[in-house]
Amino acid sequence: MFAIWAGKLVTLLLRMRGKDATSFPGKVALRISPKLLAWFGRRIERVIVVTGTNGKTTTTSLLASMIGHQEAIITNHKGANLAQGIATAFIQAASWTGKLRAKTAVLEVDEATFPTIAEALPIVVIVVTNIFRDQLDRYGELDTTVEKLFEAIRKTEACLVLNGDDPISRRLGLRSSRKTFYYGMARETARQDTRRQIRDGQFCLQCGHELRYDGFWYGQLGLYACPHCDFARPHPEFIGTYLGPTLRFSEEGLPDLTLDMPVEGLYNAYNVLAATAGARVVGLWSEHIHAGLANYVSPDGRMQSFQLDVPVKLNLIKNPTGCDSVVQAVTSDPAQKVVVIGINDLAADGKDVSWLWDADFEMLTDDPSIVRVITSGLRAHDMALRLKYGGLSSHVISVIADMDEALDAALSIASSQSLPIYILTTYTLLHPTVQTLTTKVGSHESTNVAYRTSVS
Amino acid sequence: MNRRTLHIAHLFPDLLNLYADRGNILTLTQRLRWRGFSVEVHEVTHRDVPRLSAYDLILLGGGSDREQGIVAEYLKGYKAELKAAIEDGLPVLAICGGYQLLGAYYQLPNGEKLPGLDILNMYTSAGVGLPRLIGNVAIETPDAGIVMGFENHGGRTVHEHEPLGKVLHGHGNDGASGFEGVRYHNVWGTYIHGPLLPKNPRLADVVLTTALQYAGVKEPLEPLDDELENQARQAFLKLRMPEVETSVPSL
Repeated sequence: MFAIWAGKLVTLLLRMRGKDATSFPGKVALRISPKLLAWFGRRIERVIVVTGTNGKTTTTSLLASMIGHQEAIITNHKGANLAQGIATAFIQAASWTGKLRAKTAVLEVDEATFPTIAEALPIVVIVVTNIFRDQLDRYGELDTTVEKLFEAIRKTEACLVLNGDDPISRRLGLRSSRKTFYYGMARETARQDTRRQIRDGQFCLQCGHELRYDGFWYGQLGLYACPHCDFARPHPEFIGTYLGPTLRFSEEGLPDLTLDMPVEGLYNAYNVLAATAGARVVGLWSEHIHAGLANYVSPDGRMQSFQLDVPVKLNLIKNPTGCDSVVQAVTSDPAQKVVVIGINDLAADGKDVSWLWDADFEMLTDDPSIVRVITSGLRAHDMALRLKYGGLSSHVISVIADMDEALDAALSIASSQSLPIYILTTYTLLHPTVQTLTTKVGSHESTNVAYRTSVS
Repeated sequence: MNRRTLHIAHLFPDLLNLYADRGNILTLTQRLRWRGFSVEVHEVTHRDVPRLSAYDLILLGGGSDREQGIVAEYLKGYKAELKAAIEDGLPVLAICGGYQLLGAYYQLPNGEKLPGLDILNMYTSAGVGLPRLIGNVAIETPDAGIVMGFENHGGRTVHEHEPLGKVLHGHGNDGASGFEGVRYHNVWGTYIHGPLLPKNPRLADVVLTTALQYAGVKEPLEPLDDELENQARQAFLKLRMPEVETSVPSL
């Protein structure tokens, strides 16, 4: 109980000082009582976990919004997905006597953290978004990530909701011997391969032969089959057809749902599909699913827009596949534009910046409408080097290591020509950038009173 | 002007591409093109038959343990040919897993030995319960100055050859010897990625000069504008390995 009080006091103190209280209260409380999560675990009825490499935060928020329309829930917002972030979510949902104000928790859990908390909580459903290469210095290698997930699953009695288009997730499902529901995109929407992108798991994880693909969506997500053994993409229980502004959601025996997409892009269509599949598995009606999507508020750094003199869109990048999706979205805007790329190499960003070279930044080279790219952050020079060797003209590249100065420079170039700005940053630069931009929106509003901004 | 095309083979990019080997290929090809050379990159997947006599430089990258096992299996049939070519001076740049593959074997934590190509008197062992050697690394090399980057390897490598360099910061081959990598004929083996070559343009040019000589091209490499590369080197050292920066004023 003392641990909860300590956590709540820390929350109050942080909030009084205007700070973000998404992890630190839990850290303090766990220091006092390491078994705090198990203590909460005995007081909550069911926990739904979302994990995977990309799209965890968006999928968790979408699913939380859907289930939250039906009943009170506990969730860890803003991607605070390590043990301390999860503990913080429970502390903030607990009264001073330790009573929780909800029976269901929807939690985003980091893959590496998952085995350490799996036993403590009554996890009934595990939704896995996908398994890509991410932050190698933290997880060892991709195979280690799969082991971690497998280890965590074994410690629960949960059923699984997996991405059937992802061969690595499929392997996880086969190995786990659990009730597994697969979701996937409609077969006919797969594309033939055009660009060379990084694909993990292109070899059969059962027998080592190269997988045959009849089509791709992105990364290694596609219509795969092993020519040598029985390993193949399963027929998904939940099928999505991405139609741009909407996603058609089909499952056998029920009428199709036409879901309004609250966020753009194919990778977000997968997130909507994963969240809706999870919602169906826990028994949610279509009414709650629609309402959940309508009420959804986009987390920071997912095409988050700020209206200054010019429109600014902010995106988190953290690994090659996720980065490729973002760069693709940026270059699909035909307008002339200014791009800012901020790269840090702190623990939460990944200390190894090698992944920048696996991401397809050549898409920027191929985009004639890019007026300027400003690289920033602790590893601003490495990013500039990446662009130089990617063939981007040196006249277009500027290095401004300080992020605030980089933003000011971008605004001054963009405003004079009325161009949109796209900002891409790694994790530890994201929140400071949100704060800077929010402040700028505030002062912009006070000078343009008649103008209504839309910050989503 | 001799502008013969230089042929670079990237062996098994489908299996060994863990540490941004694309960045190394890109650095080699761009630094040739910027000097007016033409270059062809042969992506030799595990389904292709490698034609060692057609290549002027081979790049062998890193993969996960599982993928490395598959590669060792595929390469078995070419072992003798590759060894003969290397003895004959074929330039090979081998990084992380590719570096380990040049040795006799790689022993996994469970004791299983993945056989290597056995070209160098060298072996690698992951040990039991030992931590991975992870972090920023800088070494001093005789012919390419300070080489810097990131290392992330579970394996400890022991060999009888010249090292690539002396560790100034980080772990190196085994975290104990104080040396990193290997130099043997025209082979460079190293755990350094990040990727290796973009921020180490001198090493890139040493590799290219050797490959051009091997190809029979006599022209020297003209200097390039490496201003951005040098800024990136200085910024990286200052931020992450300041003691190296102060100990070696000229990079």
